[in-house]
Amino acid sequence: MSETRLFPAEENASFGKKSGFPSLQLFVLHTESDTKKVTMNLFLDFSVTGILILGIWMFRWPHRAKFGNLTAAFALTCGAALILYRNGTMHPYIVLLSLAVGSFAGYWVAKKITMIQIPAMVAFQHGAGGVAAFFLSLAELMRGAQHLGTMNEISGLFGLAIGSLTFSGSMIAGGKLSNKLGQTPRIFPRHTLLVMINLACIVVLIIAALYAPMGIRIFLYILIIFMSVLFGIIFSVRIGGADMPVLISFLNATAGLAAAFCGMIIENKLLISCGATVAASGSILTHVMCRAMNRSLFRVFVPVEESVRKPAVNNEQDRLAGSAEKEARHQSVGKNGEKDDDFQKAAEIARKANKVIIVPGYGMAVAQAQFKVIDLSNKLLSMGKDVKFAIHPVAGRMPGHMNVLLAEAGVDYDMLEEMDTVNPEFRDTDFSLVIGACDVVNPAAIETDGSPISGMPILLAHESKHVVCCNMDDKPGYSGVRNPLYENSNTVLLLGDAKESIGQLLENLSETSPAAEESSVRDNPQDSKKELLDSAVTALSSAKKIIIIPGYGMALAQAQFKVVELASLLESMGAEVRFAIHPVAGRMPGHMNVLLAEAEVDYDKLCEMDEINSEFSQTDTVLVFGACDVVNPAAMDTKGTPISGMPILMAHDAKNIIVCNFDAKPGYSGVENTLYENPKTIMVLGDAASTAYDLTDALKARN
Amino acid sequence: MTNLLLMAGVFLFSFVVGYFLISRIPTLLHTPLMSMTNAISAVTILGVLILFSVASTRTEQIIGSVAFAMAAFNLVGGFAITDRMLRLFKKKEGGVEE
Repeated sequence: MSETRLFPAEENASFGKKSGFPSLQLFVLHTESDTKKVTMNLFLDFSVTGILILGIWMFRWPHRAKFGNLTAAFALTCGAALILYRNGTMHPYIVLLSLAVGSFAGYWVAKKITMIQIPAMVAFQHGAGGVAAFFLSLAELMRGAQHLGTMNEISGLFGLAIGSLTFSGSMIAGGKLSNKLGQTPRIFPRHTLLVMINLACIVVLIIAALYAPMGIRIFLYILIIFMSVLFGIIFSVRIGGADMPVLISFLNATAGLAAAFCGMIIENKLLISCGATVAASGSILTHVMCRAMNRSLFRVFVPVEESVRKPAVNNEQDRLAGSAEKEARHQSVGKNGEKDDDFQKAAEIARKANKVIIVPGYGMAVAQAQFKVIDLSNKLLSMGKDVKFAIHPVAGRMPGHMNVLLAEAGVDYDMLEEMDTVNPEFRDTDFSLVIGACDVVNPAAIETDGSPISGMPILLAHESKHVVCCNMDDKPGYSGVRNPLYENSNTVLLLGDAKESIGQLLENLSETSPAAEESSVRDNPQDSKKELLDSAVTALSSAKKIIIIPGYGMALAQAQFKVVELASLLESMGAEVRFAIHPVAGRMPGHMNVLLAEAEVDYDKLCEMDEINSEFSQTDTVLVFGACDVVNPAAMDTKGTPISGMPILMAHDAKNIIVCNFDAKPGYSGVENTLYENPKTIMVLGDAASTAYDLTDALKARN
Repeated sequence: MTNLLLMAGVFLFSFVVGYFLISRIPTLLHTPLMSMTNAISAVTILGVLILFSVASTRTEQIIGSVAFAMAAFNLVGGFAITDRMLRLFKKKEGGVEE
């Protein structure tokens, strides 16, 4: 299919002469032997593509896939041999040396890594592919700027840009997947705008590179590479760890696309067709991952709902805090005094809250309360709450004043949010703490006309569920407009010196929290775990049909070998055991299958979601290992949650459910798992590997 | 122009064929599939070979050799890891050995 010409026919001839190798010219046919040669070459090209397609085709069956992989590798080797035969090479030593270095490194890494590292490895390889693509484009553009047609040149520039962004994006993805970078999305202020500007720069540079004089083009090429690398970085950093399956699939597609563009520069059809196939594959996988996670591609890449998802992760704390609150109520009965009461109330609000926003104003600076405020925010953070500071542009006495004060007091600048970013978040905030600020949180600015502050942008603290104001007094601020926020029913006023108020609040918070911790410990004592294990073993030993649902938690705990051991024990006891694999379980498409295959599970027993879902109702016992969202019935029962409509495994249909998760917190989606509250469910919490081990032991002991 | 149309045609054709071919692959094999297609995307190595088939300047040689090594890393590493993974998938009775 490819006739491997470096340049369009007219240039090719001269290069052919220069290099001393016969060149192939499809459109300049003179003799019969030329025709024969062309036919022969076409036939060879088609053969190579055919072998490659055959290789991919064999992936339909697990037992043929291994051969398919080798077939595909063979096809590419044939392609390389064909090029060497036709064109020869001018630099055999360079070729051999780079080949040796690259292959050795690739082979060595492939042998060394473990199966759980596969996603990171694949991401890094995408990166290497990206580098190869943009270097190839660069070399071709540098060499051929005078000879290339416009279309080839445009392809080259695209190859340059896409290759570079694939490279940097993959490095970020690989870093996140291998835990070298933080899992949380990093969102810069005005992130979407930054991405757009960056993209526009790349487009402008590409257009400029087409028309610029030869001499300066090389600089433009390098600029394009630089901007695209930057684009890949700012594009990927804001995608969270659990969304990596989508990103990695997407980068697979872009790597393919880059290869296809490389093919277009040199008009090599094998490159184009391979690249297009990979792009198709990556697109399919991206689509499959998005569907399985119930998220649109746009939402994954532009994660605006971070504020909705994050607080829910702390729901467990909420529950603990809830029980603490009851206790606190008992304790506070004896106490008297309205002010004490207010502090208790404020502390209670703080304890119950998941998401806290602190609004500092100049009053905080005046009272020199910033250090106490940081103590409080650290306390709240240690209680597992999401704490942010909302900085109004005019808070303080100079631009960025509050930021400086808080930074001096040692706050992490990630927690300082600008007004525009933080305002939409107040709606989901449980607790806003206003410290020495008045006008900047005065709802009268937007609610009433004609006052001095009407139309002034404010921090929407009044939209949060509870507001606590630590101000000196309840007099109006500098503007002289009364602050209706103080009269709201959900507002608690702690008047007086801000430093003292915060100190008192901090004390109240610390007072009751040991009790909270105690009660949470009491919930899960050693005996009850034994009891739970016992009932789990009963459910397992009587079961005839068992389905095991593995999730990423199993991979994290490296529990797959223990789980498989348990499965074989159950099988030897006469039960039918199978594994139900949700498409997005793990960190890349099909990750669980690989891990279980590594632990020697027969692949016949690895069942896809659609195939096994109808069977749960006839299943005696379901064992869930480290999976949460993929078995959360809330996806079907409730509307409006992030997972509503997401396809799930119907574990709740089974007669007994044993959940071996690390904790009972919601999964990545932040939605409470209603399966945990199901009366049929036995929760055996803790490390999945040791739970599997305990279960195996207990089962053996019983028989 | 003919050439451009031909290339666009090849791209579209491969994309469509690839789409139909790959959408039939069971989710069981999605990780090895991605790993293999990843290796296939290192087909750029053929492009570098072509680059080296004619005389080139020193800069081109350096850039080319980096590209070649990277592509080789991707190619060999990709196929090797896919092979390792696929060897793990097995069936007990009468299935594939190893």
